[in-house]
Amino acid sequence: MPYFEEIELGDEVGPLVIEASDDGVLEFCRVWGNDAPSRFTDAAIAEKDRFAGPIVPGIMSMALMARLFTDWAGPEALKDLDLVFRQPVPHNSPLNISATITDTRQEDGENILECDVLMTGPEGQRYVGGKALVSLPSRT
Amino acid sequence: MAFELEYDRSLYGVEHKAGPFPVTLDVVKSFTQGIGETNPIFIDEAAAKAAGYAGLVAPPTLCTIFVRQVKLPDVKLNFGKSGMHAGQKVQSLAPIVVGDEITASSHLKDVYAKTGRTGTMAFVVWETSFSNQNGQVVAEVQESFARRE
Repeated sequence: MPYFEEIELGDEVGPLVIEASDDGVLEFCRVWGNDAPSRFTDAAIAEKDRFAGPIVPGIMSMALMARLFTDWAGPEALKDLDLVFRQPVPHNSPLNISATITDTRQEDGENILECDVLMTGPEGQRYVGGKALVSLPSRT
Repeated sequence: MAFELEYDRSLYGVEHKAGPFPVTLDVVKSFTQGIGETNPIFIDEAAAKAAGYAGLVAPPTLCTIFVRQVKLPDVKLNFGKSGMHAGQKVQSLAPIVVGDEITASSHLKDVYAKTGRTGTMAFVVWETSFSNQNGQVVAEVQESFARRE
């Protein structure tokens, strides 16, 4: 796990390269009670809604992006994740998730990193972007 | 001049309660399988307990699945036709573990218009506070939905 003192502005976190599979999206939709065919799981409905194919739910994109930080700094490190969904995220395509540290500070006794976080596609498509606040322990 | 939107302003200040939502092993497993989670704290109960947690820990954005189960009223926004999920913010305040019972309280936070190169869009923002069975606030979630002219 990284320590606060090791971090410098401009440091990169990741990338986490991952795909949202058809089965993964189905499982995710099932857990939030969205079992019925939808733009997230059904190609015909997605096309009717003017998407090229089934898309990844925004809340699933968010969960994937949260993984970048919990993989890196532990299960309680992510304090705040604020995302803007810029483009539909497709299934079965590599998603590159990475972050850049833009600020470091101590706040209410916590060591806080502020990060710009981005999910991009294989051709540089900027699917989801936003900001994250991450808490790191001190070395001492 | 600010764009004047027509919608139901009486919704401001009204809390919409939902739940309790039980955090079951099945819920956490489906969530973590969907995103290919590999962190032992989120997928292995013994590892979570060995790390000092009361049970399997849920990933920090789990509450977003409960937001969709809160029945929110129509804001009667008289603008645009098609809507989309524009953004989401999660503030994680305390760990959620299997066995917790989560309740939600949602309110309308803001409705506003923004004009850019592609025209004007209207945004509806709902804010939901999630508490566990002990009354501890575990997460705050904001969701914004946009409609295009």
